[in-house]
Amino acid sequence: MKKRIGSILTALALGLTAQAQTPRLIIGAVYVGGVNDYGYNRSFHDALAQVARDLPGVKLLEAENVPESGEVERVMEGMIQHGAKLIFPTSFGYQDSARKTARRHPEVCFEYAGDGAATRNFGVFFGSTQAAWYPMGVAAGKMTRTNKLGFVIGLPIGYALGNVNAFELGARSVNPKAQTVVVVTGGWSDKAKEAGAANALLDQGCDVVGMHVDSPATIIQAVEARGAMSIGFQSLEARALAPKGWITGLGFTWAPFFTRIANAVIAGKFRGEAIYQGLGEMVAVAPFGAAVPADVRKLVNAAADKVAKGYNPFTGPLNNNQGGQALPPGATVGADQMGDLNWYVEGVIGKVR
Amino acid sequence: MAETGRLSALGSAPPVRAALRYGAITAVALAAFAMVLLLAGKDPLRAYADTFSYTLANAYGFSELLVRMTPLLLTAVAVALPSRLGLINVGGEGQLYMGAWLASAGALMFPGLPRWQLLPLVALLGFIGGAVWAAIPGVLRAARLVNETIATLLLNYVAPLIVSYFIFGPWRDVRGSAYPQSSAFSEAARLPSFFDTRVHGGLLIALAALLAYWLIMEKTRWGVDMRAIGGNPEAARRLGLPVAAWIVIALAIGGGFAGLAGMGEAMGIHGRLRQGLSPGYGFTGFLIAWLAGGRPLGILFMAFLFAIITSAGDTLQITQGLPYSAINLLLAMILFIVLARRPRKAGR
Amino acid sequence: MTTPLFSGVLAGAILSGTSLLYATLGETLVERAGIVNLGLEGILLIGASTGFATAAATGSAWLGLLVAALSGGLANILFGWLVVSRRANQLASGLAMLFFGFGLSALVGTPYVGAVITGLPKWRPAWLAALPWVSGSTLFNYDALTWMALPVAVLVWWALFRTRWGLGVRAVGESPAAAFASGRSPGILQFQALSAGGVLGGLAGAHLSLSLTLTWAEYMTAGRGFIAIALVIFSKWHPLRAVAGALLFGGAEALQLQLQARGTDVSPFLLEMFPYLLTILVLLAWGGARRLAAPASLGRTFYGSE
Repeated sequence: MKKRIGSILTALALGLTAQAQTPRLIIGAVYVGGVNDYGYNRSFHDALAQVARDLPGVKLLEAENVPESGEVERVMEGMIQHGAKLIFPTSFGYQDSARKTARRHPEVCFEYAGDGAATRNFGVFFGSTQAAWYPMGVAAGKMTRTNKLGFVIGLPIGYALGNVNAFELGARSVNPKAQTVVVVTGGWSDKAKEAGAANALLDQGCDVVGMHVDSPATIIQAVEARGAMSIGFQSLEARALAPKGWITGLGFTWAPFFTRIANAVIAGKFRGEAIYQGLGEMVAVAPFGAAVPADVRKLVNAAADKVAKGYNPFTGPLNNNQGGQALPPGATVGADQMGDLNWYVEGVIGKVR
Repeated sequence: MAETGRLSALGSAPPVRAALRYGAITAVALAAFAMVLLLAGKDPLRAYADTFSYTLANAYGFSELLVRMTPLLLTAVAVALPSRLGLINVGGEGQLYMGAWLASAGALMFPGLPRWQLLPLVALLGFIGGAVWAAIPGVLRAARLVNETIATLLLNYVAPLIVSYFIFGPWRDVRGSAYPQSSAFSEAARLPSFFDTRVHGGLLIALAALLAYWLIMEKTRWGVDMRAIGGNPEAARRLGLPVAAWIVIALAIGGGFAGLAGMGEAMGIHGRLRQGLSPGYGFTGFLIAWLAGGRPLGILFMAFLFAIITSAGDTLQITQGLPYSAINLLLAMILFIVLARRPRKAGR
Repeated sequence: MTTPLFSGVLAGAILSGTSLLYATLGETLVERAGIVNLGLEGILLIGASTGFATAAATGSAWLGLLVAALSGGLANILFGWLVVSRRANQLASGLAMLFFGFGLSALVGTPYVGAVITGLPKWRPAWLAALPWVSGSTLFNYDALTWMALPVAVLVWWALFRTRWGLGVRAVGESPAAAFASGRSPGILQFQALSAGGVLGGLAGAHLSLSLTLTWAEYMTAGRGFIAIALVIFSKWHPLRAVAGALLFGGAEALQLQLQARGTDVSPFLLEMFPYLLTILVLLAWGGARRLAAPASLGRTFYGSE
């Protein structure tokens, strides 16, 4: 009898404490697309979901498909009203709205995926993918049979141009005849245009295609359907879409960084900083596809190691693709200057608009 | 495509009765939407309670309602004014973009001007941009060449492309990592905002426009003449009235108001020219004008209603995990109910 | 080996133009009957979302196609109930259908975002594949919808211009009162045109999600429904001219992507503007002849006894 009462009381006590547990931290995340996109948005969602799993008492509010317009501010305000103390505006075009909201709510912490200055409650972060595309270029340069590589980008912003350039430099380093053709779709997420762009590249004879758009899914599927090879981006999960043509890819691994930030906010020790991490920290290389031979894998891994240890492919002298010099000898472009990049390296076919 | 049925949903019912009727319609639509929510596995009562507390019972939420209303008032007047002459203007989107474009041109070309000069200038440019864009279909219609519904609709496609061309090209922001948007406008070009909310001077402009519309219709000779003709340009022509000029002027003024909406969004909310200025404000304005029977008070009421409903969409996404777009179902249901009312007899 | 610009653009235009053509054909039928559906975009979205959801849930793209066609037809019947039975304002009703399409497609599609489906199977006859400028490109490697696009256009033309039913439909579009007086039932004809038009619209949407991109995302039609409305005008409400129009509008998009892939720089926006400006110019040219190509009663509500 006593044991029975004891166990009932214990159960009650446990139940009561469970009820009384309000979240230690409510995180709000705003996405420009859907989280199931095998791409950009998914990488954030996966990482935040993991944070919510690993840290006790963390609740996650998410808003998907929020366009880069006046709407963003309303969504963030709504989340703050629901108690969010840490907000992740995950799209580049949210910047103005995010900064304004941060100024209005100094007690809420923001981690903005983009660039610009950090303030006390507004942190800025991103994964430096540019140098990481160098080993991707190595892979493509070795696997291509036509020496023509394709690259689809959404908008010709500095970061995208940097990705293309590093890709071409990596390919050139193992295959001096490799060229990269670039097609711009005009937006980060126009699926029909992405399919058209992929087809246009394949029509031009490219047999390896990389991309910098929000979701690699459409491009990878279009490329796979025509029997060509792909290199993925944004999310490591994209490889599921190309069982035959997958070479390798890059994906964001935000979870460790997000966990650190969440803990800092819980402990009241958050301070906004501009943090860019590259290969080995926020960016990882995806597993290789079955068709990639062992010697290529070795080369790629070696290149990836080089980059992770600090090698910067953006070191002069480098020529641009207009016949002039892009970087004089000894000059470099650092991760924090990548946003201002406005040239293509020699070997890239395309015009910067 | 001549008459598509006069622009009136509730005919000429007195305002109070109309408001009550709309209240009843809204209640029915809310009930129907509640069923949709239930089917989707959500809690309707909770959803509506959340909407109320975060939208109406909340200072920030209320201010956002006003922010949403501002462009809607203007695009609704853009439709209502020409409709008095029997003209159908579905070109609000395009006129909005061209107003934003021309106003941005002014802001970018004269950033150094003091505010008391620059602001009226960009407002004027905003009006002109939209007015010219609507005058083109006006001229085409006046010359009996192209129906204005078709012409205004087609020009909707061209305007955002013009804006995109400029923000990707000559006007691209030199500082923003080549992101497609114009450089930020100087402070002098920005519409002032109130009380640390996003409510901006555009609201005053919108209310002034509403007032101007009412004045034109009720107090000017031209407005009274237009109404007297009863929206039959052919009869007016036979009576010797300068209908061709009126057509162009009416559409131009309407387009100008829509252009002011574009200016308001660019100068008041964003502070620069970018893509996606309008999530369909032009078409929503058409619906508001239609639901309101083209009357100013009705426009005010319906714009407010639309603002609440679209705000609910935000709340529902955060609290119920519903995709924001689902709120369009509620809008559609309200419209269906109004549209499906007892069929009108001929002549109305 | 690279494909010549012409075949690359043609291939892209055909792929991109398929859904445009179906949507335009559907709207042509409807407008010939005197009804304008501004909410065509909503119909496309409904088709795309229901088709994708069905394919993801059942594993069969064909079933998805069927469901998409039926949903489109039903949606247009709902629209017909508003504008024909209840005599509601067509423009407002069309916009209501637009919102309806936005909302319904979002609700239907959201649970399936990210699902991987096998799309409609593609097929290319061997003798065509052997041709030098065809192999290696996407030319003639089409799914059923694209292969049937031209036959369907011919079918719609034949139905409108070579059958008594079509004659009745066009008569209603010109003058419902006269049609009524001659013993036809305008309402029934309009509902028939609306159903057929809705099915075509549903198929147009399905092509996007089941073949072109194999995915669902909100608003993925990106204005194609509105483009189709412009296309109807451009093709003077004639199904066969719509084929040329669909190729033109689809081609403009394909052209700028193909030109980019060849290293040429041309502003995509100027290129995209071109079809619309052309449409206006074309309208101006006809308008001068004072004979409107549009069905005379387009947009009117018929008040006769029903």
